[in-house]
Amino acid sequence: MVIATTRGLSKAHEIYADRGLRVRELRKAGKKIIGYICLYPPIEIISALGMVPFRVFGDMSEPITAADQVSTTVVCPFLRSIIDLGLKGKFNFLDGIVGAHTCDIGMTLVISWRDYVKDAPFSHLIDVPHTDHAPAVDYFEGQINSFKRHLEELAGEKLTDDKLKKACELHNKQRKLVRDLYDLRKSDPPLLTSVENIEVLVAIFSLPVDEGNDLLEDVIKEVKERSIKPPKKKARLLVWGPVFDNTSLYELIESADANVVVDDTCVGTRAFWADVKAPYNLHALAQRYLVDLKCPRTYRDTKHHELERNYDRDLDSRFNYIKKAITDWKVNGAILQSVKYCDTHGYEVPNLRHYLDTLGIPSIYIEHDYSERSLAPIKTRVEAFLETLG
Amino acid sequence: MSETATPAKTEKKRAINRLKSMYPLRNLVQQDYVNTLQASNEGKPTVWSMLNYWEGDLPLKAMGLNIVYPENYATLLAASGAAEPFLDASDSDGFPTHMCGYGRSTIGYSYRMMKENNGKIPPDAPLGGMAKPALLLGSGIICDARFKWFQALARYFDAPEWCLEMPMMATFEGTEADLEDYQVKFLTKEIKDFIEFLEKLLKKKMDWAKLEELIDLATRIHETTWQIGEARKAIPGPMHSTDFWSSMPPALFFAGDMKVSLKLYQDMLAEVQERVRNKESGINFPERYRLIFAELPPWHSLKFFDNLAEKGWNFVFESFGYHNTRPLDLSKVSDPCEKLARFSRNFWFNIFPDAKKDGISNPVVETYLKIARGYKADGFFMHPLISCRAASCSLRTIQHFEQEKLDVPSLWVEGDIIDKRVFNPQEVLAKAEAFEQTMDHYRTVRKSKGLDW
Repeated sequence: MVIATTRGLSKAHEIYADRGLRVRELRKAGKKIIGYICLYPPIEIISALGMVPFRVFGDMSEPITAADQVSTTVVCPFLRSIIDLGLKGKFNFLDGIVGAHTCDIGMTLVISWRDYVKDAPFSHLIDVPHTDHAPAVDYFEGQINSFKRHLEELAGEKLTDDKLKKACELHNKQRKLVRDLYDLRKSDPPLLTSVENIEVLVAIFSLPVDEGNDLLEDVIKEVKERSIKPPKKKARLLVWGPVFDNTSLYELIESADANVVVDDTCVGTRAFWADVKAPYNLHALAQRYLVDLKCPRTYRDTKHHELERNYDRDLDSRFNYIKKAITDWKVNGAILQSVKYCDTHGYEVPNLRHYLDTLGIPSIYIEHDYSERSLAPIKTRVEAFLETLG
Repeated sequence: MSETATPAKTEKKRAINRLKSMYPLRNLVQQDYVNTLQASNEGKPTVWSMLNYWEGDLPLKAMGLNIVYPENYATLLAASGAAEPFLDASDSDGFPTHMCGYGRSTIGYSYRMMKENNGKIPPDAPLGGMAKPALLLGSGIICDARFKWFQALARYFDAPEWCLEMPMMATFEGTEADLEDYQVKFLTKEIKDFIEFLEKLLKKKMDWAKLEELIDLATRIHETTWQIGEARKAIPGPMHSTDFWSSMPPALFFAGDMKVSLKLYQDMLAEVQERVRNKESGINFPERYRLIFAELPPWHSLKFFDNLAEKGWNFVFESFGYHNTRPLDLSKVSDPCEKLARFSRNFWFNIFPDAKKDGISNPVVETYLKIARGYKADGFFMHPLISCRAASCSLRTIQHFEQEKLDVPSLWVEGDIIDKRVFNPQEVLAKAEAFEQTMDHYRTVRKSKGLDW
């Protein structure tokens, strides 16, 4: 296999181009492959039970055709793309699918998957509360326990404390390695392009956690040692928004006078910034996924149950991790992007832009329909925005 | 887009046979906005609340708070043709245009109140408008917008906000028997914490006896409205969907005085039962077709139902999410918070077990199969909304399974709850004739398969 002979960035590129490459091999060898949607299914449990978690993405280059029979057009085109690919048999290497109530359509997608996509007989839907209130964390722990019991049936074995601890440590190691990978873009110019970065991330979402860790270590070593570096550019940008699993937007931005040096997206930092804390039990998983993972789909009080609200304090409470990224990566502009019909991100836009204004960070908001074709008109807007950065 | 081709003046008789008992219920809601505004002028706080399936409404009422429901107010904006300046204001403040029409209306209203009118109600707000909120009660139930748009209102108001939780239980996983107590425990704790928060905010204690009384009233209101829904199965359908939509807020939000609401719904039940006995239809034309409306109507263009009524189209049921299920017997539950938790949870929990039996994963699909059978539907009017994911996302699968399992066809017309520019009533009329032929055809098919309608 080609995959056995390539390493580092080449290997990442190869897997990025054919995401099922490695998991098809593993499945032939008897491994169970469990697809998961969005960031809320606790993948540590999948790994701990000896299965491979495979993050399910759509395909921006594949026209959505089959999904029209199960979905209206006025819902998230990313999720429509996933069910479209499922209906076309493109996830036929999965043994199961796990979704979560990360948003209305994310939940409905899993429900539709059960009725229409027959390739993967196992499916599980995890209810995710909308807040990080204390009773909600307890409830979510129960949901994780329900998922664990269901997956144990598929695995034919029980999850032990030791297996869970080892899996948590492996996934935490991966998160640490990704943070190290992001550190390579703190310099000016960055040592890694955002296009390379997204290829690596998409690749590790397509590999068993230990193999993903090996890949990350190889990439970090390769990048540190290589002599050719990305060029220095006028703009150092942060990209914000929901899932963007494709290089096209980053290619578009970096074809202009800008480097994307950091992000707050579901494929990027959100997936890797928070670790599971010891003791590595189900409550720790609930805490990591519901409280520590920062996504607009969860409602957060500035302070639980406070009787007064202050807008600026509220914004700082919700977005100060972005402020930290802006400082650490020396960002001088932000591109807020969202797939059309994403309500959880849409409501954030004016408030986040206001917050960025207070930090002196210019921003634009762009909306797309999760197709490569829809990005072309955005190029002009991005170029005009870069002009304003002076 | 014009609403209908026929001016009201030239109509010899109204196409829809409105229930007399609908009017006082509709007036009750409208009067409630006026009363709340009056109370605000007297210094009493106003709560802006989301539809929360009652777990929040009843504690608020027991604490004596005045409540308005922005999503309901948005329907009034749309129905009175006043929505556009508010939508424009939301757009101008940077909110994406694809988002919930109710949310955009409220955001635009808030923007105009706080940024253009110095905290005063916009002068073109119908029914005097909604007073500035002292508390925002968001909810995670049914749709993401219900908590995200209230969170976004921090941009305009410094009012505290609470986001109410509700387990999302309408799945195979959610109906495992051993999960019921755990779900109730979660919800009960959430309600207790919310009440504690209210007590701190208002600096007064919950009136538990009052809360118990309101839960009892709520149960009786829901028992009555459930019976109205059952009576509507009669042929001809005695109550048109437009009457349901006009009269639902006192049962959906418990808007207004609940004792008055109960009496008015009892009057409505009596009138509907009287119609059933007399075989009196909800339309003033012979009932040729029985339609189900899924899911939310174009509030700005309800007049087009008159044109369809003239063709003998009777809309006999609608909008499942706006209907309550038959209340549980909670007489043995002593803790009022647990009672309320079980009362609220009942709506979501009860819709799923039948779906499980039929092997369908989507509880909304199963609910509509049950509705189609029970109300002997000839066809579905599917109304996917440009601005509402929650009410639109299952429509294709509903359409598919209604056709596959029951041979009930659907008419598909895109539109919106608020934005009238994307709904074309003429399109409906243009498609109606062909759809009648489709309904005729499948009526024959159903009979050939042994179905009884």
